[in-house]
Amino acid sequence: MQTDDRKDTGGAIISAVMIGIACLVIWDSLSYMDADSAVFPRTFAGVLIAASLAYIVMWLLGRAKAGAAPEGGSSARRMLLVAVMLGGTMAMPVVGFIGAALPVFAALTLIAMYDPWTRFRILVYPLIGTAIVLGFFYLFREVLLVPLPVGSLFDN
Amino acid sequence: MAGFEHLLTALTPLNLAFALFGVVAGTVIGAIPGLTATMSVAVLVPLTFAMPTSSALILMGAIYTGAIYGGAYSAILLNTPGTPSAIATTFDGYPLAKKGDGDYAITIACLASVIGGLIGAVALMTLAPPLSEVALAFGPVEYFWLAIFGLSLIAALSEGSLIKGVAGGALGLLLSCIGVAEVAGDVRLTFGSQTMLSGIQIVAALIGLFCIPVLIDLVAQPGHHLKVDSGSRGFRLGEAVRYLWGDKINAVRSAVIGTVVGILPGAGGSIASLVSYSEAQRTAKPGQTYGKGEPGGIIASESANNATVGGGFIPTLVLGIPGTPPDAVILGALLVQGVRTGPSLFANQGEIVYTFIWGLILATILMLPTGLFIGRYAYRTIITLPKALLVPAIAFMTIIGSYAIRNNISDVIIMIVLGGFGWIIGRFGFTASPIVLGLILGPIAESGFVQAWTIGRATENQMGMFFGRPISIAIIVFTLFTLLSPFVLARLKKIKDRAHAD
Repeated sequence: MQTDDRKDTGGAIISAVMIGIACLVIWDSLSYMDADSAVFPRTFAGVLIAASLAYIVMWLLGRAKAGAAPEGGSSARRMLLVAVMLGGTMAMPVVGFIGAALPVFAALTLIAMYDPWTRFRILVYPLIGTAIVLGFFYLFREVLLVPLPVGSLFDN
Repeated sequence: MAGFEHLLTALTPLNLAFALFGVVAGTVIGAIPGLTATMSVAVLVPLTFAMPTSSALILMGAIYTGAIYGGAYSAILLNTPGTPSAIATTFDGYPLAKKGDGDYAITIACLASVIGGLIGAVALMTLAPPLSEVALAFGPVEYFWLAIFGLSLIAALSEGSLIKGVAGGALGLLLSCIGVAEVAGDVRLTFGSQTMLSGIQIVAALIGLFCIPVLIDLVAQPGHHLKVDSGSRGFRLGEAVRYLWGDKINAVRSAVIGTVVGILPGAGGSIASLVSYSEAQRTAKPGQTYGKGEPGGIIASESANNATVGGGFIPTLVLGIPGTPPDAVILGALLVQGVRTGPSLFANQGEIVYTFIWGLILATILMLPTGLFIGRYAYRTIITLPKALLVPAIAFMTIIGSYAIRNNISDVIIMIVLGGFGWIIGRFGFTASPIVLGLILGPIAESGFVQAWTIGRATENQMGMFFGRPISIAIIVFTLFTLLSPFVLARLKKIKDRAHAD
């Protein structure tokens, strides 16, 4: 039983990372001009260190229970999803909102696609994607008056 | 009932139309991750300036109440609270939806929201002046301890380890410190990055930590997002009403908790729903499995967060102190309309106030049919939309929703990075809820903590400042009870089991 409990090594590693984050907070707080700015982050960095240390001690004693096994699946698709979203967002100030959103939508459709590409899907999915992007663009820009990025490429 | 004569004023066709429009618009806006109740009210405020005062207030109240309810849709169907007050709705709503009972969960949420909304509004009408005294009894230290109490609740409720929950809450509080310090103006934890200078926006973090991990897991495997039922089962209203009747004490208790917590400025729906959820779990009947798809969890959360609408208006109208962020926007609109808030408001401008409260009650009642219809449509859309369209559509909404909060690309980048981080730590049992709640409560907690610390230092009585005030002591006792009771109960159970075995 205890051997199984010891398996939450991931939890202990994350706890160690948390301790690192807390130390970083304390180090940063040394540069503040006013003590009022430092007292709160230092206190709760202390709480974070105490909780994380407690978990590591539990893990060392074999009392840290591992949760349910994480879901499997395609790691490549997972990473691609985050990369495409991040890349599209970073490109937005340059190529503009629509210029970034349409390719991101298309790429994510490809990443999430498991069914075979029939003629219907090839025709309809891009149309639906374009309608969603343009519909939301209109709603946010014209109705909610949100200044969506035009893109430095098209600024002039 | 006080102000009954103003019911007819609220019942004009124009006001009813405004209430209906407000509820529908609020529900749809609240269902979209990133569009909060505050934003929906704020966007529509300028439209109300030219309207008659009572109609304007009814419209704003209806949008607000609809948006709070709308937050439940994405909480149940996407595991992403549409508004911060729907965090606790995800605990049981999403597991229910995964079992194929998303339609049932939405109907339960609608009924509970109506009950909570009505009880909150009735409290506003009948008990506003005496209840507002509660808000005045809370000083900075009490708000600090209230925030810590909220965090202790969510740490205890987090699936897995309590210690991981505490660590998550502390991490959330530290994340809330990023950017320019409100108290002294120091630039904190940005490490020279311009992106971090404006801090972590709460709603963007909420979308990232809750929604992005769902998307990451959604693309990893084929198959439907939620279990698809065969054939139409209607609204499942009868089933939901029967369950609600059996759990009526939970619904009413949660509404009362929501009303009282709503009165406390800044605390809002997130603490209210967590306290109610915790109470529901504590008093669970045998066989009720909270956290694994128990409808009682949705009742507790939704009844409480909708009750905060009425509760939040109590200090707003009587003291001029907004109970929740949307109340602050509505308070501004009230001032533009020439309404002077304060203890004499109900006596001097009773017609406007009572018409508004009746409008709020009507809007809450209208939420029942509209909520059921919109919920059914949202449910069918989510379960029938192919994954290849659902994933990019949700991802697109998270991007545009996060951007729209402050018109800032940095918020979107932080949202995606936090989402990836949340997914990684989530695999090792560190859930998103305590981190998000820490972020939400961080400013209240820090402001109270620093004020108390400064006063304590000046009076050379820091211990007394933090631990010597009666309300503080009561909250500390509740907090310790929340954190220690699982251990004590587990120990008692072990002793009992051993005694039985002997």
